[in-house]
Amino acid sequence: MNGIPGAREPGEHEPFDDVDASILADLHAFHSLTDPPPADLTERVRFAIALEDVDLDGLDVVVSRLQDDLLVGSGARGAERTRTVTFDSDSLTIMVTITEAATGGVRLDGWLAPPAPLRVELRITRERTDSRGQSYTTTADDTGRFVFDGIIPGLAQILVHPTPESGVDLASRVVTPSLLL
Amino acid sequence: MTPVAATDPDRHARMARCLERAQGGELGALDEIVEALTPLLWHVARAQGLHTEDAADVVQTTWLELLRRLHDIRSPHALTAWLVTATRREAWHTNARRRKQPGAAPEALDAVPDPGPDLDELVGRGERHRSLGRHFQRLPARCRELLRIVAMVDRPDYTVVGRALGMPVGSIGPTRGRCLAKLRAMLLADPSWSPR
Repeated sequence: MNGIPGAREPGEHEPFDDVDASILADLHAFHSLTDPPPADLTERVRFAIALEDVDLDGLDVVVSRLQDDLLVGSGARGAERTRTVTFDSDSLTIMVTITEAATGGVRLDGWLAPPAPLRVELRITRERTDSRGQSYTTTADDTGRFVFDGIIPGLAQILVHPTPESGVDLASRVVTPSLLL
Repeated sequence: MTPVAATDPDRHARMARCLERAQGGELGALDEIVEALTPLLWHVARAQGLHTEDAADVVQTTWLELLRRLHDIRSPHALTAWLVTATRREAWHTNARRRKQPGAAPEALDAVPDPGPDLDELVGRGERHRSLGRHFQRLPARCRELLRIVAMVDRPDYTVVGRALGMPVGSIGPTRGRCLAKLRAMLLADPSWSPR
């Protein structure tokens, strides 16, 4: 049945009954209790997919994957916390260093590889319930470097848009999962 | 999402309407589907042995991928199956990347999910849960993955999700299937567990 010839389990071909339903209900409760999804997971998903200008007939989304999330340690004066996150897609790698200033603002130092002057958008939530969010836009320099400073902590998502003059052949925009700043 | 809701006859129709509206361009209609299916996808990712941050990321990536494929999905059953398959694929890729990373965390190399908080502490109140957990851990890894996922799925989706997991149709509902038969035998032999 599960691909192991000869290894039969008594009763495996019997019809599914109430005892089976009871076992599955218990397993459901067990895993919901011992390993529930993070409380904000649904909210993070909603935020990540609440993209604007989505053309469903030729949807231009390339998904980046979180490759790495390293806690770099405290900054020079010990008043800052820094971590680095890398997103990887077929066409582009985005690396961001996130610095939390003691004053509460967040700074993002990013690099695109291959380096190109592409338009970079940072979507953030202004409130926990606001899934549409608010956007900041900047353009990376020739070395692929970009900066967002003074960002309010919360959920954020990075989008990189194809730019005709950038010289990089980006077929569609690159979208990251949301990250918590 | 509880097994009780699983028998809700309106649920399938409601999901179908949400899917149609989303395909018509009203992406906000996905919110209800996201709410209903995100916990299932979490358990799919965790059953593949991802640690919590990676699992949360894989679930988001899967939903983003869905946006690209929305027009290919014909029904809520097909949607559930597609999401389960896509989540497993993403989880597999993430596991493969973690293995290649120098100095990767040992739990990422392990095919077993990290145990998380102390089970005894969490389920200490229920001897029933403790014995269930004990027997469940004795199952082969493939059975643990299958049963964990199927237990999170609505009953009408068993067949299509079973197929998505690479199980022959009927490996879980309408017949019991080997994995559930194994667990059932262990539980019925244990006086601290009884069906309710």
